[in-house]
Amino acid sequence: MNYKINKVAVLGAGVMGAQIACHFANIGVQVLLLDISPKELNDEEIKLGLDLNHPQVKNRITHELFNRTLKLKPDPLYKKEFAQRITLGNFDDDLPKISDCDWIIEVVVENLDIKKTLYEKIELYRKENTFITTNTSGIPIQLLAQDRSENFKQYFCGTHFFNPPRYLKLLEIIPTKETLEEVLEFISYYGERFLGKSVVSCKDTPAFIANRVGIYSMMSVVHLMEEMDFSVQEIDKLTGIIIGRPKSATFRTCDVVGLDTLVFVAQNLQKALLNDEAKETFLVPESIQKMLDLKWLGSKTKQGFYKKVKNEDGESEILSLNLNTFDYQPMQKLKIAEFEKAKVLPELTKRIKSLISGNSKINLFYQKLFFGLFAYISNRIPEITDDLYKIDEAMCAGFAWEIGPFEIWDSLGLDKTIPQMEELGMKPAAWVYEMMEKKESFYQLQNGHQQYYDINTNKHITIPGSEQFISLKNIRSSQTLWQNEGCSIINLGDGVINLEFHSKMNTIGSEIIQGINKAIEITEADHQALIISNEGDHFSAGANIGLVFMLAIEQEYEELDMVVKTFQNTMLKLKYAPFPVIAAPHNMALGGGCEISMHCDKVIAHAETYMGLVELGVGVIPAGGGTKEFALRLSNEIKTDDVRINRFRDKFLTIGQAKVSTSAWEAFDLGYLRKDLDEIVVSRKHQLKYAKQAALLMIEKGYTPPIPPKDITVLGQEGLSLVYSGADGMQVGNYISEYDKHISIELGKILSGGELNEVSQVSEDYLLNLERKTFVKLCQQKKTLERMQSLLQKGKILRN
Amino acid sequence: MTAYIIAAKRTAVGKAKKGKLRLIRPDDMAAKLVQEIIGQFPMLDNTQIDDVIVGNAMPEAEQGLNMGRMISLMGLNSVNVPGMTVNRYCSSGLESIAIAASKIEMGLADCILAGGAESMSMIPMGGWRVVPNLNIAKDNPDWYWNMGITAEALQKKYNISREDQDKFAFHSHQKAIEAIANNRFADEIVPIRVIENFVNENDILEQKEHIISQDEGPRKDTTLDGLSKLRPVFDMKGTVTAGNSSQTSDGAAFVLVVSEKKLKELNEEPIARFVNYAVTGVEPKHMGIGPVTAIPKVLKRSGIAINQIEQLELNEAFAVQALAVMRELNINPDITNINGGAIALGHPLGCTGTKLTVQLIHEMKKRKQKYGMVSMCVGSGQGAAGIFEIF
Repeated sequence: MNYKINKVAVLGAGVMGAQIACHFANIGVQVLLLDISPKELNDEEIKLGLDLNHPQVKNRITHELFNRTLKLKPDPLYKKEFAQRITLGNFDDDLPKISDCDWIIEVVVENLDIKKTLYEKIELYRKENTFITTNTSGIPIQLLAQDRSENFKQYFCGTHFFNPPRYLKLLEIIPTKETLEEVLEFISYYGERFLGKSVVSCKDTPAFIANRVGIYSMMSVVHLMEEMDFSVQEIDKLTGIIIGRPKSATFRTCDVVGLDTLVFVAQNLQKALLNDEAKETFLVPESIQKMLDLKWLGSKTKQGFYKKVKNEDGESEILSLNLNTFDYQPMQKLKIAEFEKAKVLPELTKRIKSLISGNSKINLFYQKLFFGLFAYISNRIPEITDDLYKIDEAMCAGFAWEIGPFEIWDSLGLDKTIPQMEELGMKPAAWVYEMMEKKESFYQLQNGHQQYYDINTNKHITIPGSEQFISLKNIRSSQTLWQNEGCSIINLGDGVINLEFHSKMNTIGSEIIQGINKAIEITEADHQALIISNEGDHFSAGANIGLVFMLAIEQEYEELDMVVKTFQNTMLKLKYAPFPVIAAPHNMALGGGCEISMHCDKVIAHAETYMGLVELGVGVIPAGGGTKEFALRLSNEIKTDDVRINRFRDKFLTIGQAKVSTSAWEAFDLGYLRKDLDEIVVSRKHQLKYAKQAALLMIEKGYTPPIPPKDITVLGQEGLSLVYSGADGMQVGNYISEYDKHISIELGKILSGGELNEVSQVSEDYLLNLERKTFVKLCQQKKTLERMQSLLQKGKILRN
Repeated sequence: MTAYIIAAKRTAVGKAKKGKLRLIRPDDMAAKLVQEIIGQFPMLDNTQIDDVIVGNAMPEAEQGLNMGRMISLMGLNSVNVPGMTVNRYCSSGLESIAIAASKIEMGLADCILAGGAESMSMIPMGGWRVVPNLNIAKDNPDWYWNMGITAEALQKKYNISREDQDKFAFHSHQKAIEAIANNRFADEIVPIRVIENFVNENDILEQKEHIISQDEGPRKDTTLDGLSKLRPVFDMKGTVTAGNSSQTSDGAAFVLVVSEKKLKELNEEPIARFVNYAVTGVEPKHMGIGPVTAIPKVLKRSGIAINQIEQLELNEAFAVQALAVMRELNINPDITNINGGAIALGHPLGCTGTKLTVQLIHEMKKRKQKYGMVSMCVGSGQGAAGIFEIF
């Protein structure tokens, strides 16, 4: 197997095609994106005197679709400039160009004839041994492969991406009988390593795995709502984060995806499924049909289960649909006792256990929801897959469920749930009964690898590919060297240890500071390198503001100074430790989380890393060495005779406007990551293993720690004057508040080194002292305390 | 002694960064213009020109290195004529004429090329390296305010509605479009030939010739409705938009100022006489109101009454600013900017003073009018006004 992907052709520039093209561009592949040509001229083209053969006209549809995609939020591209990697064209003129491509992905309209006609043309130009895959979600792959050449069939399979393809991890791969094994292997490998996907191979059954189970789950919730008389708003409260599903829960998700799309899949399933015991679940209830008739499809028609309106005061307000009266009603303040009781439990499985235990209406709802789901998935094996872990993986990666249904079932216990299920008239598959008798569970851990119960051999088997990466979750129980409330130190082997945060939102408090110091101590004594990474939702949301707020309110300024000093010293220890320290952040790495990364020898960032020094939002400046690092990086960037003031301005505005990167690529541009030093990994799964390898390489090369610089060039008055003048202009123009201006000037005083008459050279300590004193001074301001209070109590950034 | 103007020419005004004049340096543009002007006077020996004075608001980078001297060297094909660059921001181009006239009136010179040149494509407002004085930045930051913010301050002080500003802007475009349609600028514009070297889509170096002979700013498709939908750019809650502010532009303009003696030597008829010029200072934060003190001052110094002024070129830095000035001085809109102003035609900062003088002279000549005035507000709180007598 020696395939290389340099160029990809994406045929079809609709919402999925164009976004798939963007994701290939994200990872550095050249993309050819084609769509149909218009059959009629538009007014502008007539005015310009163009005819239907003019290239501008022929590419118009592709251009329009692509430009629409570029405007999508969240952004389909890691960086705007990556759009240049995509060449646009049309089927008439540019199809021959697919002969240069290594992979052709068909994403045209879901119509068998149209697809097959296109395949005939593809056969004319496709080079042998070029991958040819379809993104269909509704047409059997086997049917699409009919009438094709031998080589086409061997290289053909389904590659089903989920919308939005940059963000949703799932890639379903559906082979036909003729697809070569090595083709599947390569696409799986490429999908995982290069595209950063969770690749799940599926059988060629209707809607494959994720949509089959996901749509079932959604439809069953709709039926339960009707049956048990819940409101739309209640259902969303009950089926969101509380049970480990996305915040948009059931109906907000429907509104975003579009009700018509979901119903289309449900109706297709209803027609296509022959031996599905829960077939009637896919029947669309009257109320939903009425919504379809009224075109209340969700965001795209401006109203669905929810509707955004402007109230009398001109403020926007969200109303929710009452499915009995078909009126939109103001949102209610819902107090559900069972919900409140479960909410405080940090562990998802415990929350679910709490929610289903009891006899209340709410308990019953959850029992029906989960038990129904358990029965359904058990009966889908071996129909849709032989391997139960694939259902879990598909639901987590495709529908953003926190934990897969089999894993939840494990946590509730088969022996406890099955009798309850039977009572409710739900029947799990026979193989589950066999398992129960043998007291087996769906999953177990063996030597740091997760194993699943294989129904063919009736044994636990290691999940294939899991030896290719490191999962803290799997090794935590056996390899933890030390731990406290906020973090754990886990041995990764080969002399490398990992510090894992696990506080709430991974905020940094005294436990984590203690953990960092402990990790440094342990590495120095017995190991060779330290990695800071975790498997939480976010790398770190920043320092624990609660602690700072408390000290500030109690006017314990000396202690506050000490706390900041300890943080700064800990950062310096990371930086100057006599061994390599690598941070491997993902998702949010804000404030203190960003500062930790900035003080490591190397950052191996996941592509989806949102970094930022956002301290101004809570009325302070970055004082954990973040401002100092920016001054240092500025100093390193400036070359003799540069117009340095503009570089200073950029650095100042990055912190001053609390800019957060929308991808790791952007973090380079903002200066949070260092070019030629820090790296990006697209595969979240492989990130930690890669970080470990990077650490080992650094050791191999011969590692020496950096030497504390005493020659950081700061601009003094040259920089500071711009800050005073610029901040005033921004405030007068109502872009920032009076207090923002005050903090900005304080920030400027640090970044410029203060009112120095000439450009000067200073030490790290000098800047750290400025940072700390400024931080403590700002904490004595009422407005800073108000900002902190707002974040702590309401979770909102206050711009006072 | 009297200072006469015997030639007044300008380039068309290009849209900064978008228009074709972005392709030419301001010194090159000015040198070509100067060559054209001198070419009109076969009797004039270049070496008899006493000085070249060019106004420029951001004299650095492409506009640095005393651009005035370079324009002289390139434009006059002689090393014997000196050159200087003057800066009073937006009145630089009027200041250069006033300096030339004063030198002639004092007997220091007989023949001076005075003008202005600015490429806002090449040099941003404020220049490339903005380093304010720390004490001013701390104690009087409004002295450094962005011009748009001063326009908003004026809006608050004089309470001029967004609607009035947009209407004013709309009319500026209408007047300019009509003027172009009626060829009103044809006599004064010297076409500029620009050779563009660029790499085409086939990676081959290609050359294209452009002749720029028409102002690029005025828009036929501007509508009042369109203007009213634009967002404020300087103050989030303000009223000043890209549509009711002057455009950033590239351009050059020059006049040839001579003494009576030189006039006779050359046997030329003057087209205008420099009457007087005044500058005043106002609150920097209300920079836009500058003409309100400068206009009465220059009238008083010249002994001319406001009602003797038959045409006024009042630079439209911002609609709000022009409206405030007109209301305060009770200026007749019918005689003001009759062919449109900077909102439509563009405002190439240091060139503007000369450019407006060129426009005024030619339009008044066509209408056989006598006294005309050029006035503008000037950054950091100044006003300028000059009076010309047209023959």
